[in-house]
Amino acid sequence: MDFLFSYLVLALIYVLVGLSTNLLVGIVGIFSISQAAVFGVGAYIFANLTMAATSMPFILALAIAGGACVLLNIVVSLPSLRVSGDYFVVTSFGIQLVASAVFVNWVSGTGGANGLPGIPAPEFFGFALDTPPRYVVVAGLATGLGCLAFWLMMRSPFGRLLRAIREDEIAIAAVGKQVLGAKVAAAALAGGFGGVAGGIFAAFMSFIDPYSFDLDASILLLSMVVIGGTRTLAGSIVGPFVMLALPQILTMIDIPSTMAAPARQFAYGVLLIVFMLYRPQGLVGERL
Amino acid sequence: MLLSQLLINGLVTGCILGLIAISWALIYSTAGIFHVAHAGIYTLGGYLAWSLVTHGVPTLPAFIIAIAICALVGAAIQTQLYNRLADRQATPLVILVASLGTLAIIQNTIAMIYTTNILQFPLGWNRAVIGIANNSIRLSYPQILTLFAGAALCLGTICFTRYTGLGKRIRAVANNPFLADITRLRPRQTYTYVMAIASGMVGLCGILVSLDFGLQPYNGVLPLMTATVAVFAGGIGSTLGAFAVALILSVLENLALLVMPGEWGVAIAFGIFIVFMLFLPTGLSSLYSRR
Repeated sequence: MDFLFSYLVLALIYVLVGLSTNLLVGIVGIFSISQAAVFGVGAYIFANLTMAATSMPFILALAIAGGACVLLNIVVSLPSLRVSGDYFVVTSFGIQLVASAVFVNWVSGTGGANGLPGIPAPEFFGFALDTPPRYVVVAGLATGLGCLAFWLMMRSPFGRLLRAIREDEIAIAAVGKQVLGAKVAAAALAGGFGGVAGGIFAAFMSFIDPYSFDLDASILLLSMVVIGGTRTLAGSIVGPFVMLALPQILTMIDIPSTMAAPARQFAYGVLLIVFMLYRPQGLVGERL
Repeated sequence: MLLSQLLINGLVTGCILGLIAISWALIYSTAGIFHVAHAGIYTLGGYLAWSLVTHGVPTLPAFIIAIAICALVGAAIQTQLYNRLADRQATPLVILVASLGTLAIIQNTIAMIYTTNILQFPLGWNRAVIGIANNSIRLSYPQILTLFAGAALCLGTICFTRYTGLGKRIRAVANNPFLADITRLRPRQTYTYVMAIASGMVGLCGILVSLDFGLQPYNGVLPLMTATVAVFAGGIGSTLGAFAVALILSVLENLALLVMPGEWGVAIAFGIFIVFMLFLPTGLSSLYSRR
């Protein structure tokens, strides 16, 4: 039963990160491959805060992790979004590669390739949420709030502005809207989602290492959003549940364990191409 | 003498980065595709050559066959994937995601066949080293080969795009695909040629690097991304600009080894990219061309 619950918790966490990817890639239409890096920065900041000598409360550490990722995304998106979309692709790859280098090499802060063990599970009024069935409440609550915020934002004038920018940037600039400001705000919001999700992930796993936040993880996140369906809330929810179930199906096929990880990534690659060719709107999304 | 050794190493790696940058820029400026799968072709080149050499094919034919296969794979990606996507009016974002999927397929196919362990060429001569200035600077044979290949192919590409019929056709299509189509320059066919040429070039880069450093399935993304930095910083459409920035980037990364460990080299490349975005967003070529 625990297995089912941990699948549920992980899927819920990835829904939250998926929302941030969807916001950038689907709604504003800027390609981002650094979502796993942002997710990781959130996770490592959260881990360091809660594992410090005077352990910080869960909610406060989560808020700081989210806030730091908001700042990070503003700082990196501001120069690149000023120029053009393709510069952001390079920047985004750059953040992912630099972040991976930091996660592996900055041993005193991140534990290096061995990772950081012993991240405490959250405790509310002396009641520890340390098993997957209990933790579902935390993950469900956070993801539920995230989905609500996403849904409300999409219906707000700001959401309409973002979608309009995706359709025709120049027309929107011509009617006097702040295109750059809106894009950076979207990137900041995406950073917040990613950072908070990172913190929730770290507290659930109680152990984090760089391999959860590398380029492959970013490709997985992108596949989740693209295959679930971009530009809709439903797509971001369906995608992670489907894509996390896929490795379980692959384990039924008898392949050597050294080939398991490449085989999984290979399957994601095939799915990405097939969906882009025959169903660019994903399972339940709108046309990308 | 450490300084001059680092300088030489930087120039050699810079030649590789420059060639990757030139070949990638050829695709980007002609077809407008952010071709991430280029990193996969780069890795593929090295592995194909390794397979052929270990199966007893003589070195030179093995390299030529590997490069030819890379060119074919590149052309196949264009005709089977990018053209089909273009038929469906795919947005640049969709094409980019599909390209990323192609990269995942190529890299992981290699990882499944050859495992993720480092492989070395069983040649012998690629380990040989010559010393210059009383052995104070040491150059391996693959490094010398790389320097010559880099200079020759950079000049070759410039002459090719300026003086040959196909080169002029590529520039015409890059400049205005619609007009090129009307004047029967057949953009689709041109894109396929461009992909084949660029993929062959990047396949050669993959072989040259693996002679020196061995092969690993996931090592293509970092050089490609550093090369794209060079393309944007050098000015899109400027072959010499991209090559020059690639050399500068790589020399700086190597000289930085004097003051910091090598793992942070990637941060230098992207730091420079951010400086360019802030102060010189249209690239180095905007300094000397009055466009």
